Amino acid sequence: MDRRRTPGLSSLSSNRLQTHHYTSHGATLRSRNAQSLETQLSVFQSLVHNFALTHSKDIRANPAFRAEFARMCTALNIDFLASSYHREAKTSSKGGKGGAGAGGESIWASLLGGSVHDFYFNLGVTIVDICRSTRSENGGLISLSDLRTHISRGRAIGSAMTVSDADIEQAVKALEPLGSCFGIVKIGHRSLIRSVPKELNTDQSTVLEAVQVMGYVTVSMLQLNLGWGRPRAVAVVEDLMADSLVWVDCQAGENEYWSPAFITGGGLR
Amino acid sequence: MATTTEPPTAFQFPPHYSFPPFFTLQPVATTRSSQLQSWSTFIQSYCRHHHIFSLSLIDALSTPLFHNTTLSRQLSLRDAKAILTWMASPEGGSRAEFISSTGNKKKAVDEGEGGRVWIYWRRPEEWAAQLEEWVDRTGQKGVVLTLYEIVEGEASVREEFAGMDMELLRMSLGVCVKRGRAQIFSSGGEGEGIKFF
Repeated sequence: MDRRRTPGLSSLSSNRLQTHHYTSHGATLRSRNAQSLETQLSVFQSLVHNFALTHSKDIRANPAFRAEFARMCTALNIDFLASSYHREAKTSSKGGKGGAGAGGESIWASLLGGSVHDFYFNLGVTIVDICRSTRSENGGLISLSDLRTHISRGRAIGSAMTVSDADIEQAVKALEPLGSCFGIVKIGHRSLIRSVPKELNTDQSTVLEAVQVMGYVTVSMLQLNLGWGRPRAVAVVEDLMADSLVWVDCQAGENEYWSPAFITGGGLR
Repeated sequence: MATTTEPPTAFQFPPHYSFPPFFTLQPVATTRSSQLQSWSTFIQSYCRHHHIFSLSLIDALSTPLFHNTTLSRQLSLRDAKAILTWMASPEGGSRAEFISSTGNKKKAVDEGEGGRVWIYWRRPEEWAAQLEEWVDRTGQKGVVLTLYEIVEGEASVREEFAGMDMELLRMSLGVCVKRGRAQIFSSGGEGEGIKFF
């Protein structure tokens, strides 16, 4: 006898029973799914935890490794630098995806004991230090590569570290909330760290851009290539010189104005 | 110049050395002060490397120290004098001193041209401390040493003061004497001797 084809009222009740079973089963499945996801997440979290703990030295020491780690974090939508001072915002945004994570404190602060963003703060302090000490030489504009050589040389014993350009940019960004005048300016193809609250006018940046290309400029070069009058060209280079942004070389016939960024790069000729 | 044995390794010139404007004293005060500082560091490390204790300005101008042949840039006598004068000033850490032939310090700066200059990559006081430490380390306290023995002897061949200018040595030992750590006496014709205690 085929039970499924029962006619009459009894079929109605069994139908209802069936739907009920389906929904309850669905609910169990869903909750089991959520549960397994949660376990997976917590496993993943503890793995990342262990990973960060065992490799925290590498994260600090190896720029390529740190970049990959940071890339992974950005892929997961985790901004580990921001986590330290946007703690509230962090937790709420984390709550959505992290679930089991962060009760009250940011994941990264608890996971890494603050070592990663400590790293960027330390780097920031080092950068400020270097910018200050080289200010009289380069007028407060220092190129990224220059800064990197300074950092890798280290001031105090043991303070030398290898960093990438991305690290420096990150660290300079971390300085922004302090309301300081630190920032990154782009002149030509090069990024420079600016540590003076000075705005360059168009003429000055044009000249600096030319300096980046050639290594130096002369007044007559400016006159020829930019079609400037002599007084204008002279005024601009003298302005730049007064701010230590260029150095003058009087031994080449006509005065040549060099960018101090070329001190570490070596002369071009 | 008191050059002794040439060190086997070549001197590593600082990056500033290949920067043409480095050889022109900068007219702007802040730039200039940083430039002077860089020159001072450079001169000291150059002299330390080559074991030079004093420079004769005129002669030094054509040496690699002040003349970069690859860039064909050269420090002028006037600028070199300005740098050394700055080094000799308290602001420059008194890392140089003009040697006068007449004993008049003021005059020594003016003599300039043919003037000779001590380059103190270690100041006499620092040399004194190092000499004392050496005597202590090698157990020569109470022993009479000749000055010649100190700078040319086998025991000091590896020390920084090997081949040191006699005059500078006398100045440094003078500091030891002043501190009451040593006594100089001349032994008649044989040169001077010194005893540390």
